[in-house]
Amino acid sequence: MGSEYAIEAEGLRRTYRTRTGWLKPRRSEVEAVRGIDLTVRRGELFGLLGPNGAGKTTTIKMLNTLLIPTAGTARICGFDVVTRTREVRRRIGYVFGGDRGLYDRLSGLDNLRYFAELYGVPPHQQKSAIAELLDLVGLTGREHERVEGYSRGMRQRLHIARGLLHDPDVLFLDEPSIGVDPVAARELRRTVGNLAANGTTVLLTTHYMAEADELCDRIAVIADGRLQALGTPAELRSHADGRRVVEVEAYGVPDSAIAALRGLPGVRETAVEERGTLQLLTVQSDAHLDVQGDVLRELAGVRLGRVASREPTLEDAYVAIVNAA
Amino acid sequence: MSTLRLITTGGALAYRALFNWTSPTMYAGTLLAGPTFQLLFFAYLGRQLRVADDGFFIVGNAVLAASSACVFGGTMAVANERRYGTLGHVLLSPRSRTAIFWGRVLPYAGNGLLIAAFTLTAGSLLLGLRIPLAALPGLGLALAAGSLACGFFGLTLGALGLRFRDVWVVSNVAVAVLLLLTGVNVPRGELPQWMIGVGHVLPITHAAEAARLLAAGRGLGAAAPALLAELLVGAGYAIVAAALLKTFEAESRRRASLETL
Repeated sequence: MGSEYAIEAEGLRRTYRTRTGWLKPRRSEVEAVRGIDLTVRRGELFGLLGPNGAGKTTTIKMLNTLLIPTAGTARICGFDVVTRTREVRRRIGYVFGGDRGLYDRLSGLDNLRYFAELYGVPPHQQKSAIAELLDLVGLTGREHERVEGYSRGMRQRLHIARGLLHDPDVLFLDEPSIGVDPVAARELRRTVGNLAANGTTVLLTTHYMAEADELCDRIAVIADGRLQALGTPAELRSHADGRRVVEVEAYGVPDSAIAALRGLPGVRETAVEERGTLQLLTVQSDAHLDVQGDVLRELAGVRLGRVASREPTLEDAYVAIVNAA
Repeated sequence: MSTLRLITTGGALAYRALFNWTSPTMYAGTLLAGPTFQLLFFAYLGRQLRVADDGFFIVGNAVLAASSACVFGGTMAVANERRYGTLGHVLLSPRSRTAIFWGRVLPYAGNGLLIAAFTLTAGSLLLGLRIPLAALPGLGLALAAGSLACGFFGLTLGALGLRFRDVWVVSNVAVAVLLLLTGVNVPRGELPQWMIGVGHVLPITHAAEAARLLAAGRGLGAAAPALLAELLVGAGYAIVAAALLKTFEAESRRRASLETL
């Protein structure tokens, strides 16, 4: 096709209207996506990052034809996602993370055979295509087992094989590494990287910054239904330029202490990540100020673990962008 | 050729993926033993109340036996996609929805035919009904037509699963409605006029009528109008199911109705 872009979106919006109750129905509207413009070049590996509920999955579902935009337009390989659905569907693959989305009672092989029929893979190509994909995702030898006995990592690899059955030009990967162990996640990244290297356009959503940093040519950060930043990983990291980061491992930090940290002079962002009983506090401050002493003073009486000061990462930049939204 | 593959190979794979009662114990218990005991129940009740002879109940319940597999199967063909979270992937297929879902009905209809034939055989042996040998091909046709119509009826109910969460309630009610209104156990002449009218557009009604004529040795010529009527009812449900699937899919894209469930 003529278009130089694999994915184009202009002013993309999606509003959900819900109704609850029968006798006195209450109607409400949620604007999940509030006007997104983006283009993804052919063969590009493009990351879409954002917190839960930011509008990532809704955006993908509009691009892959499962949802009609409330406003705006989108094209895949030059085909409009609303009016040319069949052409779009022939050119896209869709993979999402999690345990569901496969027929548990069928073997991995039969799952692929069925989706090969659904996605229009010519019969004479099905056997070889399935064998190649099983090999690619490392499921050769396990293909005759029922999917209900597969581990989460195996299911995820089968999801990817399914998404690639019809050799799509554009692959949507919606949090593919969620719940996958580190070794399997590394394999997954390698597979995704190889796909892009071989010319497949990949749109990836993920919560793992390291994954996005390693894989993506460009990244868009979406929050509150809008694009907040767009650029290469290096360009996004510059959002945290001029900052320094103090990381503190702590146990049982009261909300009042976190509020106090946010109020410290020079502190720009404070994030708390729960890791079981451990809380990881990340405090970003102006680079010329050393706030480590003030931070520890505010945490007096709290049981602490490791304390470290470091340069900002893509994740810090992401936190800064999302908090500014 | 490729559409034929989608209907046959695809339909068979979907049957194995989505039909809940494929294990031998579930199959024998739910689809073979259950209808046989139901047949015996109505036959003995009919004897007690002097409603009709054994042949009426044996043939009627044999035709009805297909309904569980076909109605619930047709519903499972759509509703279980939601259970497995595969519906989105099916809807992303560029292939014809009609071919995908009509193909799914065929194994259920085949299954229904097998169950109906088993129930007819078991009922005849247990209660001593003699069916003329010459009637068997015609009876096979009547059972097949009833099963096919029932399968498309089930798919119509299943299509509602794209719009409504509790589609199983509808299937349960539908099976009870078939039991009452199709004349398989209650002579249709005894029913109020409106029930007779509803029965006309339900699957099984005309197949049961045709099967009874054939079992009585009346020949295919006498049963042909009822057989044709059953096929027309089945074709009607096939069209309604395809239209509902198309409508609800379009609605799900527009209103995100599948997102909210």
